[in-house]
Amino acid sequence: MLAEFSSVLRATMLGVQLGMTLALVAAGLTLIFGMLDVINFAHGSLYMIGGYLGVTVASQFGSFWLALLIAPLAVGVVGAAIEVFGLRALYGRNPLYHILLTFGIAIMVQGLVVEIWGGQSLRIEAPEMLSGTVSVGPVQYPVYWLFVLAISTVLIAAVWLMIDRSDLGILMRASAHDTEMVDALGIDVSKVFTGVFVFGAILAGIAGVLLGASRSVSPGMGFGVIIEAFVIVVIGGLGSFKGAVYGALLVGLVTAYGALIAPSVTDIFLFAMMAVVLMVRPNGLFGATEAA
Amino acid sequence: MGLLDAFDPREASPTTDGILTNRGRFGILALIAALAVLGPIAASVRPFWLYLLVQILAFALLALSLDFVFGYAGLLSFGHAAMFGAGGYAVALLVTHVTPNALVVLPAAVLTGVVVAAFIGWFSVRARGIYFAMLTLAFAQIFYVAAFADLPASILGVETITGGDNGLVGLAALEAFGVVDLSSRLNYYFLTLALVALSLLAIVRIANSPFGRVLQGVRENEDRMAFIGYDVERYKVIGFAISGGFAGLAGGLYVPFQSLAQPQLLHWTLSGELVVMLLLGGLGTLWGPMLGAGVVILLEEQLSGFAAWEVILGAVFVVVVVFAPQGLAGVLVSLRDDPKDALGNVRDALANYREKVLK
Repeated sequence: MLAEFSSVLRATMLGVQLGMTLALVAAGLTLIFGMLDVINFAHGSLYMIGGYLGVTVASQFGSFWLALLIAPLAVGVVGAAIEVFGLRALYGRNPLYHILLTFGIAIMVQGLVVEIWGGQSLRIEAPEMLSGTVSVGPVQYPVYWLFVLAISTVLIAAVWLMIDRSDLGILMRASAHDTEMVDALGIDVSKVFTGVFVFGAILAGIAGVLLGASRSVSPGMGFGVIIEAFVIVVIGGLGSFKGAVYGALLVGLVTAYGALIAPSVTDIFLFAMMAVVLMVRPNGLFGATEAA
Repeated sequence: MGLLDAFDPREASPTTDGILTNRGRFGILALIAALAVLGPIAASVRPFWLYLLVQILAFALLALSLDFVFGYAGLLSFGHAAMFGAGGYAVALLVTHVTPNALVVLPAAVLTGVVVAAFIGWFSVRARGIYFAMLTLAFAQIFYVAAFADLPASILGVETITGGDNGLVGLAALEAFGVVDLSSRLNYYFLTLALVALSLLAIVRIANSPFGRVLQGVRENEDRMAFIGYDVERYKVIGFAISGGFAGLAGGLYVPFQSLAQPQLLHWTLSGELVVMLLLGGLGTLWGPMLGAGVVILLEEQLSGFAAWEVILGAVFVVVVVFAPQGLAGVLVSLRDDPKDALGNVRDALANYREKVLK
């Protein structure tokens, strides 16, 4: 009985940690959708670039911390390039075309990654001070995972505060709500759009580095995480930041518990949950209220 | 409503009905005739081309089926792989356990596609726009995982049904009462060509029937159609089921030729690729998506020799979407209408791009 309790506890901790890190990916996705009306299929690729650059920086300079700093910033630069040279040409057209554009970019990135880093899966070396385990009740839990949980939670809280309280957050929400009005007030909305996209890219890059040291870094990770992120964002309600956070926690927990019950069909629980949520609330949990 | 309105495909379907003009009819007939001639040539020169042609035809049919619900009814399905794969698996299972008779297995593939689509559609049509797309994706992924993990076998307590991640391999060739030998690749090609041509005819007829007009009405303004008294959800489910039947047939034609049914047929990336084929070809034109399917498959085939072929393929998508908003169909139509101005159009597109990017 104790063994069962400890595995449930372990799964819960793992689920919360995974959820908070996925929230970093999903938050960017949902912000980009809410403000730019862009379904960003390349968001998983940004996450993947973060992971691979993390591998390179960590192995070149032997410092995980440097990787955690540099890789996301580089991903931000990639994000800026995508927004300026790709998406900008499509604003005002049917958002469907963003799917084709970002899908094309995602395929390109996957090909490039295989070219540069090869097809095998890699791993970022976690720092010495975060190795080993601690006991949480009856569970031996890796320190690194706790670190990931802590840093993700802090980041999510910071983003939440920024969107909710700061002037920048108000500007972002206003631009999403009525682009023309904000433009008329003398603010360069296209800069706000670029900023939001870069911001989302950086968050995805951070998640890529963090999970690159606990999961692994492989060419399939971009297309893998994008579906998880879409499930999260859709459950939470497209465009809703709060929804993305709750959705991510739900997905993280379902994934962790699912692995306890039936590891081979975990994804079914995930998609079934999404289907049920959408059938009960066709706009997701927090859809219509915050997003519109 | 803002988010959902954004997914209105109206502005993306500029050349609907182009296929029904005399020129459109003639073009399609000429193309079918050309393909019928091309088959024997390909078979004698390089049999591999025949393989490619069947693959293109199957995906053209799949793209056509999606364009019917997406372009005409405005239902963006991100789970059409479910019907394609279900049709394919149905054929594979029948061939393995019951009979390789094409007159049995192909109708069964259609039926399977209809049933699966009706099931998915019934649960999904209440959601609109991108939420509908995500629901269809969710159901399709459930089918994928079920096939991958061989869930039916675990439930029924038998050893294997779907063959798990290996799929069902080494399928016997189809036949038709021992009269027609469909293990001949050329015969199979003619069968596929004939069925795809008939499907195109059927879909054009359905799309322009009173039923199809109602679907277009739903695309244009769903609330108004409901207000007039149409049972909008029922129309959407039926439209989706019809599309599923054609998607199932596409899978049923694809699998025996490959002699392989694998879970990848059900995966969301196939659905995504399909949406790319539609947008690349020209949404809502029926012929554009079929063209898009052919181009994507040819590109994948031709490029796969290069090391960084995915980079090139992705770049092609990016360039088309940025510079040719109406897809390849739009490019062809503008070339036909005004061939002299082709260069001017390119210059306009580039100037337009620079202006938008540098603003």
